[in-house]
Formats: sequence, C-alpha cells, structure tokens
Amino acid sequence: MIEVFLEWRFLTIAPCDAAEPWQLGSQDAATPIMQGIIDLHHDIFFFLILIFVFVSRMLVRALWHFHEQKNPIPQRIVHGTTIEIIRTIFPSIIPMFIAIPSFALLYSMDEVVVDPAITIKAIGHQWYRSYEYSDYNSSDEQSLTFDSYTIPEDDPELGQSRLLEVDNRVVVPAKTHLRMIVTPADVPHSWAVPSSGVKCDAVPGRSNQTSILVQREGVYYGQCSEIRGTNHAFTIVVEAVPLKDYGSRVSNQFILQTN
Amino acid sequence: MAEAAQEKNPSLAEQWSLQDKEDKSAQSEVPVEKTTGDEKPADATAEEVVSEKTGETPVVDDANPVAEENSKTPEQEETESQEAAEETPAIKLETAPADFRFPTTNQTRHCFTRYIEYHKCTAVKGEGAPECEKFAKYYRSLCPSEWIERWNEQRENGTFPGPL
Repeated sequence: MIEVFLEWRFLTIAPCDAAEPWQLGSQDAATPIMQGIIDLHHDIFFFLILIFVFVSRMLVRALWHFHEQKNPIPQRIVHGTTIEIIRTIFPSIIPMFIAIPSFALLYSMDEVVVDPAITIKAIGHQWYRSYEYSDYNSSDEQSLTFDSYTIPEDDPELGQSRLLEVDNRVVVPAKTHLRMIVTPADVPHSWAVPSSGVKCDAVPGRSNQTSILVQREGVYYGQCSEIRGTNHAFTIVVEAVPLKDYGSRVSNQFILQTN
Repeated sequence: MAEAAQEKNPSLAEQWSLQDKEDKSAQSEVPVEKTTGDEKPADATAEEVVSEKTGETPVVDDANPVAEENSKTPEQEETESQEAAEETPAIKLETAPADFRFPTTNQTRHCFTRYIEYHKCTAVKGEGAPECEKFAKYYRSLCPSEWIERWNEQRENGTFPGPL
C-alpha cells in the first residue's frame, strides 16, 4: 500500500510544468508574477500559523482545565479593559500586514508597464481554441491562425498526459513581454496557465488582456476554468522557445499559410 | 516539487532580471510615452490624428535584440540563422503599444478605437496612405479577426455603428 502511494506520489513521469497527482503546492513559477503569488502565499501562511497556534492554545487550554465538579467555569474573566483593547486592535492590524503585499501584487498584475513586443490572441471556441498572431499581417484577410484541439482520451502518444496535450501548441518567445488578448467566439472560456500565474476569463463580446513574461523556456500546461457545455475544450499548452527560434518558426508558418 | 525548486534558487533578483532587454525598454520608454500621451481621444477629428503623426517616432524597435542574440551565438549557429534569413523574411517584433487611454484588462474599446482611427485616417489621407498603416497594424493586432470581418461587412452595408 505504502509502495503504491510512494510510486504514485514521486515516480510519476509527469511534465515539469503540469499538474501532478497529489500536488499540494503551486507549480514552479515561470513568470515574475507567479513568483510573486507564491511568495505572497508564504507570507500569508506566516500569519495563518501564528493565529492558528494562538487560537488553538486558548481553545485547548479551556477544554483541558474544564472539570464538571472541580472547575465548571474554566474562564473567569468577564471584563478587562486592557485585554479588550488588545484583542480589538491586534486583529485589525494583522489584515493590514496581509493587505499591503496583496494589493501591491494585485496591481502589479494589472499594470502593463512596458510596451509588449508581441500580441497573441487566444480565441476560445466550445470544442477548440484558435490562436492568432496578427502582428505581421499586411491585410485583414491574411493572418497566422491555427486551431488547437485537445488530444482525445483514447489516443495520446507515449509520454503525453491524458487530456492535457493539444495538437498545436501556442509558441511564444521566452524573456519577451507578451500581450495575450483573450476572447471567445461562442461560450465563455478562461485562459489559465498556472505556472505563468495567468487566469483570464473570456467573455463573449469583450476582449480581455493579460500580460506575461515567461522567464525560462519550457512547455507549460494549463486548463480552462470555465467549462461550458459537453466536450468543452479545456486544454492549454504554451511552449516557450528562445526568441530567435520563435522568429524562424513564425516566419516559416507564415509563409506556409499565406502561399 | 515546487518547494524543492524554490530552495534551490540562489538569488531571486538574479533569476528574474532581464539582462539587456531591460535597459532597451527603458530607453524606448520616453518617446513612447510622449506619443501615447499626446494622442487625442477617439472623437478627435481625423485631421488632428493625421497632423500629429508626422512628429511621431517609431515605436519600440525590437528587431535589435534579435540581431544581438544572433551575434552572440557561435559561428555555426550564425551561418544557420543567415541561411534561415535568406529563405524567410525576418519577423519584426512589434505590436500595438500600451495605450494610456485603455489601462484596464478590458481592451474591447482599445481595439474598436484603433479600428475607427484607421478608417478616419484613410478617409482624410486617402485609401492606402502610408501614414495610416500604423493604425491598421494596431487594430489587426488587437481585434479578433472575426470582429474585423464583421465590421468590414457592416461598413460595406452602411450599418457600422461607430463614428467614421
């Protein structure tokens, strides 16, 4: 039994930036934003443990000292100005310590500080996603567009994760400021990649932007967070490549599509 | 797995720093800020839009980092990339800049405004004027192609809802 568990927990052949069985923590950060999210989580956990220890100490102590005959009322303080001031002010200061880094992170996620180098449009359809790279167009018709379907449950190749792989990955350059424009064509979607710290809802008739800066090359797996309808396409795979490889890949595909 | 990787990190500042890219963007930030700051809102007349464009500097030129990276690589790779450049046109990394009129997540109006700006520009300068190409690039980058198709159709039928 234990062996089975250990095998399950540690010996799974899983891609590095995908969810793994029995995962408790976050996935490894690929963007500064995700690093910020993980750090904030640890910061808040410090206060969480502090409060947990304090509250459970009071609770356990009261239970411990209670006795039906000898000590029927374990707590005898009914009024005390000092303790009331402390227990009012202190809990109101703690949320402030949590709020300051939290808001700093929240607004830094929202803000587009530098001009992005590339805009990629992720357009959700119910059964697939399509991606448009339209920065290099010279007319409305021609555009580097491709559809990305989830590999169905019954034919993944060896090494591919079940329902976590697509036929066409989104290729993005690493160490480059990207703007993702997220919008659906039919049902609501959500474009989420955990290791990039990105989750952006796609609402029909509206286009949302989110910016990412992938810091290392790799393949990042994500899943849609708005599952609308049967067989909703929920798999997102982002492949980050070096900038010069990106250039050649895009220009090759562009020529294939336009000719 | 996540915890283990974090313990290994030697220094966060080192890991997350962008080496030469950072100062590049810092240099280009000044002219970009100027151009976007000066721009009139969507309802400004087309003439104004056109006239101010003459003084504008081109937006972030990101072709240089590519060249730098190529020069850094060993000779073998360089010849490879040269071969690639011969058969395929080089991609210029350039897109619509961040616009201070649309600082929010919702970019629907950003796309719409750029589309209108382009068509106002062509109405004044004539079809295919080189000055207007900039706006065309912007709206193609920002708008889903489905929307552009629909709007083009609406303009042909005369049912386009925006001010043109």
